[in-house]
Amino acid sequence: MGFVWATAVKDLRRRRRDPLALALWLGIPFSILVLISLVFGGAGGEVKPQARVLVADADGSLLSGFVAGALGQGPMAELIEVETVDEEEGRRRIDAGDGSALLLIPDGFGQAVLESRPTELTLLTNPSQRILPGIVEEVLSLLVDAGFYLQLVAGEPLAEIVAGPPEGANVFSDETVAAMSVRFNQLVSGVIGYLSPPRLGVAVEIEEQPSRPTLSLGPLFFQSLLFLAVLFMAQGMSDDFWLEREQGTLGRCLTLPHKVRALLAGKLLAVLVLIGALAGLGVGIGGLFYGFAAARLPLAVLWAAGAGAGLWLLFSLLQMYATSRRAGSILSNLVLFPLMFLGGSFFPFEAMPEWLAAIGRWTPNGAALEVFKSLLAGQPSPARLAAGVAVMAVAVGGGYLLAARRLRRGFALS
Amino acid sequence: MIEVEELRKQYGDLVAVDGISFTAAGGTVFGLLGPNGAGKTTTIGCISGLLEPTAGRVRVMGHDVLLEGHQARACLGVVPQELALYEDLSARENLLYWAAAYGLKGAELKRGIAAALEVTGLLDRATEPVKRFSGGMKRRLNFACGVVHRPRVLLLDEPTVGVDPQSRVRLQELVRDQAAAGTCVLYTTHYMEEAEALCDRLAIIDHGKLVAAGSLDELQALLGERDLLRLSGSFPPDRTPEALRGLDGVEVVQAEADSLIVAAPQASRLLPAVLAALAAVGAEVRETTMTRPSLETLFIKLTGKELRE
Repeated sequence: MGFVWATAVKDLRRRRRDPLALALWLGIPFSILVLISLVFGGAGGEVKPQARVLVADADGSLLSGFVAGALGQGPMAELIEVETVDEEEGRRRIDAGDGSALLLIPDGFGQAVLESRPTELTLLTNPSQRILPGIVEEVLSLLVDAGFYLQLVAGEPLAEIVAGPPEGANVFSDETVAAMSVRFNQLVSGVIGYLSPPRLGVAVEIEEQPSRPTLSLGPLFFQSLLFLAVLFMAQGMSDDFWLEREQGTLGRCLTLPHKVRALLAGKLLAVLVLIGALAGLGVGIGGLFYGFAAARLPLAVLWAAGAGAGLWLLFSLLQMYATSRRAGSILSNLVLFPLMFLGGSFFPFEAMPEWLAAIGRWTPNGAALEVFKSLLAGQPSPARLAAGVAVMAVAVGGGYLLAARRLRRGFALS
Repeated sequence: MIEVEELRKQYGDLVAVDGISFTAAGGTVFGLLGPNGAGKTTTIGCISGLLEPTAGRVRVMGHDVLLEGHQARACLGVVPQELALYEDLSARENLLYWAAAYGLKGAELKRGIAAALEVTGLLDRATEPVKRFSGGMKRRLNFACGVVHRPRVLLLDEPTVGVDPQSRVRLQELVRDQAAAGTCVLYTTHYMEEAEALCDRLAIIDHGKLVAAGSLDELQALLGERDLLRLSGSFPPDRTPEALRGLDGVEVVQAEADSLIVAAPQASRLLPAVLAALAAVGAEVRETTMTRPSLETLFIKLTGKELRE
């Protein structure tokens, strides 16, 4: 055990002397995560897009103000931001892509509506956006419909209000206001039966959809990219057998009074510690940003370290069967990249076509990632967890024995 | 003590070591002398347990390296021909690893490392990364890593190859110190003068076979008091050996179309007769060199070739 420990400590010291490699293994996935967060906004959480509607109101009437104001009020305020501009500025800005749509309200719009004369609203949309201008168009269409029905129901009293008090008076007389109130009350009483409760019965049926994880992009990419770092580390550290062979230390180790399995165990221990430390750091940061339950973190870290050790053994075997260090590097990279892209370590499975994700879940890192995600953010069933641990134990144990055999009988002596 | 009996190592059709036997005792330096590719490193590999012999038996301090490999290797210290160091670690960290690998711990470990650094003159550079060391310093550290645990048997595989003269002398002193402390040292080299200066007993090996073994005196006695004459020029291959056969005490060691080596007692006196005999068969001699008896002349006599070939 002393030799195993001495070997692990020696390897960890050597890793500490190569901070650039550590920085690259961690830095590349971290950089990708930062870029993704920037692209999707903030920390990658749920972000609601907002349309900016430029309104050029040439009419300046009560009704035109009602249309412009109604666009960005109530629930629509979360989706639509209204900004008043003149027509020239509005056209210039919409041409420059600054805004989702430009609404042009012509002079005389309000009067035309009250007098039931044809009039026209113009909506210019930003061609570089697809969804937000569509929302604006739908909302405006509803407003136009509402205005039409309002004019039908209350056109006459509204026309009187818009026309203003009789000539020579500054305000409406009390009698006129009282008469208008009575007429509005009668109008509302007449239609209230249709509006509340609605006369049309609507039967709502909700179709049950298979439940999918409700995680947002940030945590999904975070988990995948943490495994990408694990994958990089496992592949990067597997090259060490070639380095030890070239610098003669591997041959010298074989003259020691220890079995080669002890040497391999020491190196494996160093890999476990290093990947465990990385996973601990990553999961800790992830816990802060994405709110993973603290109680789940230790098990997730252990799992990531074990998976990293298994992947390291896989890459080490490839390196040891290669005919040269260069061939080993090429071979391990040939395996690394498909595992990276297919195994959910770059693109989360949730972002892949289902058939591709199904294949990816059978890759070593993909299978390990699924258990890791369930440990971190889901509800892993004890049976699934036990099966995962058993598979990992067999993979690591088998890889260890094969690597020790190759090391002693072929690689170290060739 | 090292006991090697009929050791044979074969790679396919290639026989690297062909049935060699020798014994090296504690407190002595046993030299294994031979040109590159003679089988010295393979022999060291079989003794250290790195290679599995095809046939034969090797014992280290009475332990069979195959049957009791752990006990045999625990007695060994190995200094390989090529440097075997962790370049990114310091000298102290290298020694710490190799000493711990042999089971040293606590105060014994610290003492061993301090002593190894002291004797190799690396104490003041102990914390520097090895990659900053000169070639000679690396060689000394390579040696220190092999002796830090004070082994009873020390295997040194050409430890002075590529070393500057100053470091070479220092390394030779270190080897003598080890033997003086009772360690059995097996030292392979192809430097004749180094073997003459350092080794108590020697075995000459060529093409995997042991061609001679004994103390320096015993080996020189094999040669007798004969000098070695090296001639270059053009020599009719079929007639030259025949022409010299009639000269008393002259032995043809090697005859090529452009070179000739002969051994003869008091060669300076016989030189005119040798030249006359060669002229009689149409040989042309352009250059003549005479060498007094030495290990090198013995090697040439035994193997028919220069040691550095």
